[in-house]
Amino acid sequence: MTDATDIKTGGEGRSSGFRHILSNYGIHIFLVLLVAVSGIVSPAFLSANNISNMLLQVAPLGIVVIGQAFVIILRGLDLSVASVMATAAVIATGFSGVNSDMPMIIAISLAIGAGTGLVNGLLVTKRDVSPFLATLATMIMLQGFRFAYTQGAPSGNVPPLFRVVGAETFYGIPYNLMLLAVLAVIFGILLARSRFGREVYITGGNPTTARLLGINADRVIVSGYVISGVLAAIAGLVLSGYVGIVDNWVGRGFELDSIVAAVMGGIALSGGRGTIVGGLIGAAILIVVFNAVLMFGMPVQLQIIIKGLVIVLAAAFYVRRSV
Amino acid sequence: MAKQSPLSTFVKRNRGLVVVIVLLFALLIFGSFISDRFRTTSNILNVFEQSSGLALVSLGQTLAILTGGIDMSVGSMISLLSLLTSGLMNGDPAMILPVTAGIILLGCMIGAINGIGIVMLRIHPLIVTLGMGAVLQGIALLYSLGPAGKAPPGFKFLAYGKVLGLPVSALFVIALFILVALFLRYARLGRYIYAVGDDQAGARLMGLPRSGVIIFVYTVSGFCCALMAIYLVSRFGVGQPYTGVNYTLASITPVVVGGTLLAGGRGGVMGTLFGAYLISLINNVLNFMDVSTHYQLIAQGLIVIAAVSIYVEKRKRI
Repeated sequence: MTDATDIKTGGEGRSSGFRHILSNYGIHIFLVLLVAVSGIVSPAFLSANNISNMLLQVAPLGIVVIGQAFVIILRGLDLSVASVMATAAVIATGFSGVNSDMPMIIAISLAIGAGTGLVNGLLVTKRDVSPFLATLATMIMLQGFRFAYTQGAPSGNVPPLFRVVGAETFYGIPYNLMLLAVLAVIFGILLARSRFGREVYITGGNPTTARLLGINADRVIVSGYVISGVLAAIAGLVLSGYVGIVDNWVGRGFELDSIVAAVMGGIALSGGRGTIVGGLIGAAILIVVFNAVLMFGMPVQLQIIIKGLVIVLAAAFYVRRSV
Repeated sequence: MAKQSPLSTFVKRNRGLVVVIVLLFALLIFGSFISDRFRTTSNILNVFEQSSGLALVSLGQTLAILTGGIDMSVGSMISLLSLLTSGLMNGDPAMILPVTAGIILLGCMIGAINGIGIVMLRIHPLIVTLGMGAVLQGIALLYSLGPAGKAPPGFKFLAYGKVLGLPVSALFVIALFILVALFLRYARLGRYIYAVGDDQAGARLMGLPRSGVIIFVYTVSGFCCALMAIYLVSRFGVGQPYTGVNYTLASITPVVVGGTLLAGGRGGVMGTLFGAYLISLINNVLNFMDVSTHYQLIAQGLIVIAAVSIYVEKRKRI
């Protein structure tokens, strides 16, 4: 285990047990401490009601983070996820609002997510556009299509079953959290145990090496963006079920929050490193921090300030580690 | 044209600028066929004036991008500074000078902090400036959840004043662009900006003051945001906590359209200026064609894709 980490970090030499634990499980420990301290400062934080509330909010962000993880490990970045989410949510209300519409809604949303990912991936690989600009352009265009489709004011209802999946719980465990768990296991295994997952790490670590090893780097990168697009579409549907009412901006801010969560979870923007579990813990930390700010009775604006500081500190923490 | 005429060297050096200027003229001709009202001086002056604000923010953004970075804090910075400008002036003409000076100083300081953060923490500029953006937005909302204070009488001159029939603000922006273009071309620090963006490691090996260059460009970006904040207060008469929110991403489009590569090291500010004119003109023409704003967004996305496909980026990602 130690050997493996040493190779990954460029061989920083033998590290003592404590430093090893800190550098590998620092983020886990931080989450536990955060929850513990929040619970001590404000007992209401640990009430069943509030915990269930936080768990409900983790799922949409977590699902996006899984996709973002693939893209970031591949040295990219996906700014279009929030736009895909909003588009999926708008489509969820675009029909008559009954359960029998669901196959249609899911099919169209996933197709849009996959299509957006495909365009992103092709721009990045075939045209050598930087991921930032490629996904920025698809984000803007999708926004335009969405506005044109809704004529600025979406209306209609989310099918009842979406409401159940998005906002209800089964003996205290939200259905959307179960969905997140299933997706996390599937994509976690795909990334950590499959041949494709290995190709993702190698391509992200060094695209030239990947090509020399006979990996079709372009195809791996395009697949990464497609995964991100599809997962964003799923997250959009889940979020539409959570909020119930849909406007043109459902999911606003998720593009940055998902990147922040990934970076906090140890997924380096320079590519080639990070895990799904890390990303999800990053997402959980963000949700806990937001919630704790409110529970402590601090002004809601502090959420944004703390988020900003956390982004920079988390990124700084990982930089120190890897150099 | 067997020999290298000055013209052909110019074209080769400034491909982005030339493409944009050609497109500008094509669009002007196209627009005149579409509508008589498009051709009027007042419409053209209007486009000219509207694009000045965006161009100003994009000026600082261009320098950051030339070093291979990006400034994602511009939107929040503009919001906070505009809020402070109108909040502190609060209609008192005596406060115009001290507040204006203070806001410009504050903008430079925030930008410098961005630059110092990037250099000291060794984190990607995207992350540092995103973090700064969130912090500034939070502070803006703590200061006021809605519009605060008001601009003193006479302050409107900055945005609406005219000299010889031309808008003062637009002329000022052009002068600033020319100044920065000359600086990039002839000043040593200007050349360093390109060197740092072209090859970060190489620049360090050659002993260039990389840290100083980076702190400098983000300071300039902060300076531009401060000017923009003051301009917006002059234009709208009041500052608002979300007034700058769209400029973060919008400021990147003119830079890219003007031929500056996101990877850094290549491009220039004049391309950005004409890029900003081009985008305003496209929206203006689309308005005259009765195309709804929804489709204008699609057009903007297509422009970005077209631009980045024309100026092929180096293989250097993010």
